[in-house]
Amino acid sequence: MPAVQLFATCLGDLAFPDAVADAETLLRQAGFEVEFPARQVCCGQPAFNAGHRAAARRVARSFARAFSREAPIVAPSGSCATMASHYLPELLGVEPFEVWELSAFLASVGFRPLPRNAGRRIAYHDSCHMLRELHVSAQPRRLLGGSGAELVPFARPDLCCGFGGTFSVRQPEVSVAMADDKLAGGEAAGTIVTADPGCLMHLRGRAEKSGSPVRVVHIATALARGIGA
Amino acid sequence: MPELAQPAGRFRVIARGKLADAHVQQALDDSTDRLRSHRLSAWEGLADIEGLRERAHAIRMEVVDDLQGHVDRFTAALEARGGHVYFARTAEEASAYVAEVCTRAGAKLAAKSKSMATEEIGLNAALEAVGVTPVETDLGEYILQLAGEHPVHIVAPAIEKTAEQVAELLTAVDGKPVPAELEALTAAARRQLRETFLQADVGITGANFGVSSTGSVCLVTNEGNGRLVSSIPRLHIAVMGMERLVPTTDDLSVLLRLLARSGTGQKLTVYTTLITGPRRPGEQDGPEDQHVVILDNGRTNLLRGRYKEMLACIRCGACLNVCPVYRKTGGAAYGPVYSGPMGAVLLPLLVGLDQAPSLPHASSLCGACTEACPVKIPLHELLLDLRRDLVQDGVAPRSERLGFWLWSWAWSSVWGYRLATRLARIGQPLAGLVGPGRTWSAGRALPRFGRRFRDHRR
Repeated sequence: MPAVQLFATCLGDLAFPDAVADAETLLRQAGFEVEFPARQVCCGQPAFNAGHRAAARRVARSFARAFSREAPIVAPSGSCATMASHYLPELLGVEPFEVWELSAFLASVGFRPLPRNAGRRIAYHDSCHMLRELHVSAQPRRLLGGSGAELVPFARPDLCCGFGGTFSVRQPEVSVAMADDKLAGGEAAGTIVTADPGCLMHLRGRAEKSGSPVRVVHIATALARGIGA
Repeated sequence: MPELAQPAGRFRVIARGKLADAHVQQALDDSTDRLRSHRLSAWEGLADIEGLRERAHAIRMEVVDDLQGHVDRFTAALEARGGHVYFARTAEEASAYVAEVCTRAGAKLAAKSKSMATEEIGLNAALEAVGVTPVETDLGEYILQLAGEHPVHIVAPAIEKTAEQVAELLTAVDGKPVPAELEALTAAARRQLRETFLQADVGITGANFGVSSTGSVCLVTNEGNGRLVSSIPRLHIAVMGMERLVPTTDDLSVLLRLLARSGTGQKLTVYTTLITGPRRPGEQDGPEDQHVVILDNGRTNLLRGRYKEMLACIRCGACLNVCPVYRKTGGAAYGPVYSGPMGAVLLPLLVGLDQAPSLPHASSLCGACTEACPVKIPLHELLLDLRRDLVQDGVAPRSERLGFWLWSWAWSSVWGYRLATRLARIGQPLAGLVGPGRTWSAGRALPRFGRRFRDHRR
């Protein structure tokens, strides 16, 4: 059986362990042996995006130590996959790793999801790095469609949800207003699905605080157990 | 001059005010969305937009890589055609020169067309100080001049104003009510400005481009005011950022194909004016005398590393129109002149990072700006570089540096991570009370840290 290395990401590991477990389930369903390199922590993205290169390098080294180049690395996070594939090699001066965002990987191996979302409506939120740096936008939609969901497009799918790492606490009012727009855009569907734990934490946190009726679900959960889970 | 420096915290304060103004929010959403979709349709109408963007980028970088050479060629070419060129190192030098040329010519009334460079150097105040009355003739700029405000968008300077607000301003000039309807408003402004065009002693313009090989100044406008102010008054002064040059008129045509399409979605603006020197013997139109002020004012600061890419900017405003942050804050938060992603990159480079420390962080790094830039400036990556320099140059607050230092040590090994997250879990009830946790939880619920994925899996 071919193997993949699962990169939980620190935010996934800490705040969304169920979504990471769902990602593991999907990878197994797709026919892969899932390894979880025990020394993994984080790719260094929070510090890198805030400009703290030395701190980012220190953390990114843990990623380079933990993962091998023998098997693809799959992360249930568009932005961490971007960091690990696009920025980390240059930051550390090392050879690139083969890093995939989960839905792009599943689509590339022809994974057919179970019909967990038959008859359900979903608004898929493109996380920015995944959309513009990994150029992954069709695959998650195709997978969600394959799970039986009706996809309800956002009027402005190009707009960021407002998380942006430290931006969310440097400009909290703007960040929250951006989340409100995104949540309002998801009302027609009732559920927003995203492939990024950052967007998930931000949008779900805002929905909870503001009393928005919109549910926000990670794509791994939506595909493994359905958005009703 | 308008203060380009932006103290830390100013962005957030102004943004808050704009967020609370429902009208401004609506206006920003409508106009940026409209300009954005017009650009997208216009780009679609081109056979090879990517090829054109690559060419435009190459042309701009050719100039940037030999900036002084192009300034020299432009100067020689224009002087050969009887124009005068003055190279201003600072805003003060530029304003002083323009004021002096006006005074020497005995000018009292200056008709201006839209120019961000003259906004940047605070020219209007400098002219008033020597007894020259500047009148903005671009409709948006005219409205803002009446209101005593600064532009909030580099292409559409008055987008936050309602028809009612404009009517009020024009009514005050006319002394009788101007109805808040588009036709009535433009008719009133037209009437009010007509005399200015005819009476002005001097016409002051910016320059969308300068052509190095010919010494020509290119102006693009939709109202024709650029052409009027550069041809009717006896004296024409153009203020041009030193990086606005293109090598040849062929190169100009490449950039003109992109500028209006990217700014407003037009194939070309209604007027494209090329001016090469003052009126020559036998010609019927044009000014008797022409001066072009080439402005550095910090631009040569950008000639290092990747920052020089920012000098490729053609001021089309496409990055503002796609920016989700600008869409919420409008332009004023960035400062009185440049705004949106291009402003967030350019201003700290012009005035120094310590003078604008919030701007590199006034972005969620979503990358929409980079995707929209017709000359392929990697705007969001330049913001990342600026953030790096904020830390390297010691501008980032000590507390922030300490925070990331501690975090990176904890996160650099599994045992450190385990220990730190165990402690964080215990401290969870307090997380919303201090520091970033408190800021976060003012608008959002904090995520709950239970058992980690790695704990389940063992």
